[in-house]
Amino acid sequence: MIEQIPILIVIIPLISSFLCPLIGLWRKEACHGWIVFSLSLSVLASIHTLLSIIQNGTVRYHLGNWNPPWGIECVIDHFGAFMVVIISTMSLFAAVYGKKTIEKELPGKTIYFYTIFLLLVTALLGIAVTGDVFNLYVFLEIASLAGYALIAVGKDRAPVASFRYIVMGTIGACFYLIGLGYLYIVTGSLNMEDLRILLPPLYANRVVQTAFVFMFVGFGIKIALFPLHTWQPDAYTYAPSATSVIISTAMAKTSVYALIRIIFSVFTLNFVTGFVAVFDVICWISAIAMIFGSVYAITQNNLKKMLAYSSIANVGYIMLGVGLSASTSLGLTPALMHILNHALMKGCMFMIACAFIHKAGLWDIRDFVGLGRRMPYTCFAFILAALAMIGMPPSVGFITKWYLILAALEAGQYIFVAVILFSTLLMIVYFWRVIEIMYIRAGEGEGNEIKVEEVPGSMLIPGLILAVLCFLVGIAWISGLLSPILEAVNSGFGLGVVS
Amino acid sequence: MKALSLIVAIVIGAALIYGTLDMPMWGDPHSPASSHVSPYYLRHSLEQTATPNVVTSVLADYRGYDTLGETTVIFTAGMACILLLRRARKK
Amino acid sequence: MWDFIVGHYNYWMYIGLMMIGFYAMMAKRNLIKKIIGMNIFQSAIIFFFISTSVKKGVTVPILEHGHEGHGSHAIDVMQYANPLPHVLMLTAIVVMVATLGVALSVAIMIYRKYGTLEEDEVLGNMRKD
Repeated sequence: MIEQIPILIVIIPLISSFLCPLIGLWRKEACHGWIVFSLSLSVLASIHTLLSIIQNGTVRYHLGNWNPPWGIECVIDHFGAFMVVIISTMSLFAAVYGKKTIEKELPGKTIYFYTIFLLLVTALLGIAVTGDVFNLYVFLEIASLAGYALIAVGKDRAPVASFRYIVMGTIGACFYLIGLGYLYIVTGSLNMEDLRILLPPLYANRVVQTAFVFMFVGFGIKIALFPLHTWQPDAYTYAPSATSVIISTAMAKTSVYALIRIIFSVFTLNFVTGFVAVFDVICWISAIAMIFGSVYAITQNNLKKMLAYSSIANVGYIMLGVGLSASTSLGLTPALMHILNHALMKGCMFMIACAFIHKAGLWDIRDFVGLGRRMPYTCFAFILAALAMIGMPPSVGFITKWYLILAALEAGQYIFVAVILFSTLLMIVYFWRVIEIMYIRAGEGEGNEIKVEEVPGSMLIPGLILAVLCFLVGIAWISGLLSPILEAVNSGFGLGVVS
Repeated sequence: MKALSLIVAIVIGAALIYGTLDMPMWGDPHSPASSHVSPYYLRHSLEQTATPNVVTSVLADYRGYDTLGETTVIFTAGMACILLLRRARKK
Repeated sequence: MWDFIVGHYNYWMYIGLMMIGFYAMMAKRNLIKKIIGMNIFQSAIIFFFISTSVKKGVTVPILEHGHEGHGSHAIDVMQYANPLPHVLMLTAIVVMVATLGVALSVAIMIYRKYGTLEEDEVLGNMRKD
């Protein structure tokens, strides 16, 4: 059984999602317990996988015992195992958190929500373990369809936001399909490892170059990179609470993983550095995204929309890490770090923002007067997460910014150091505004204070755990606990050596 | 808006056509797509899977995992339609 | 020059079709027209792939003499069309239909909520909320 773990990671949530409607028709209340159970099994399987890969190296699993490239294979290396752990843990947190909010927001439809939730997790895990480009497309589409449905059942403008996401997401997936079609036409293979071997003689071929551009733009739409981000703010804002948590953490990060996998495992580093200055373009677009996201976040009064624009800025951080990876000895380290760090911080903040909405219907920041006294634990978690995002040592946000600044200095690009510091300054502005209203303005306007009490435990505890993890994981990064993963990823992609 | 969309569509179309300039000719029997992976399926489908229809044997046997994914897509779309369209019962 | 065009015009035709669908998705105001554009775009990609599986004078990839004992006839690969793009496109067709279903469901939700399917009217009704 243990050697089948690579495929069990995908099959456990899949079979659970098939059984979920049946269990729901039998007894509605059992559905939530069922998904927490199956996601816990996923977390255990993923941690076992990560530990065994750190010990034994990359795992390759041939589905149906057909050798690649004639059959499909699952390849889990250090980066894949890292992503699998992030996806399964964040979805377990989102599922535990979501119980009360889903019952309140979607009465009567909870069974189907949980089913599609499990299908989304299945698809994200499938993207993280696959070794075949067409298989990645199929799972990307499952994740997208689940995402469209989960967003569209929110309030107010959610259907319109979801429709916009459908149009843009389909264009992105189709561009990826066109790119993989072009690669198939000139090589004849669909396996990532095989393509990596077959492509080097064809680097100057116009077909391969066009395929790269289209695959990059396709994933750029999915991760909401700067000019293609227009679907994201509304989609994150009006989605139901559990959906906001999982799509901002797991789904966005998996799309970044897929992009990095395509850039570094299929088109290797030699292609990208020899091709038209792609990394410079990525760095400039990320810098604009960082500034733009933070500036727009300052102008927002709706807390969830502010967090959505902040997510756009943070995707800029990750892509800046990718863009600088070829010019420094740190390689992909800042990007990988920020994938985990941002998932923790943003997950915690969305949980808290949705807790405010669930308990008191508070969307607008200006209505938060005096919340610090009424909901002490929730606001404390918010302060921890906000400090982590701003970058107070030893939180995870500080670690990311530190490593990004080191990478930019080593690459000699001082302008990006200035951009990172400027966007941190903007972050301080918009987070401080929320904290000030929550705590400090309690004295004025006695009549405006809201009568609320603390949120229920099932919603509070995941938020507090994530907030505390923001600092504990920071200490873990500093102590080098997770550096075997980073070194293995960098050496696997050929990074970390400055020519 | 319409003019901008037209310009974007023409630019993307031009990029795609630029990409096709180095492609193999249409119907070339020695193109890479027809000589790398596919001949194996045609030659061994009968002895390994006992199916004369090669498309079936690739779909259900060699690349069966993709077919599992496709079935999951249909299931997801079905569940999504129920989730989106079900009306609350009037009590 | 002429050979080049004859050897590549299938790709160009389908790219033209893709761009018609893409333009419809971006520029049209009605939600149903956007969905139809999406369908045209994805169908054109499917045609594009299928057109690469053909070789001159081939037949469908179903092996003849299938039941007459194994190995009694050597299989001439050049006689059969390439089966792999057909397989990939079967899955892509299913994905296309599923996306169409979900997009139409969301359009029905929008219609129930705002009473119209024109994008500018929907945005106007949204602002009044």
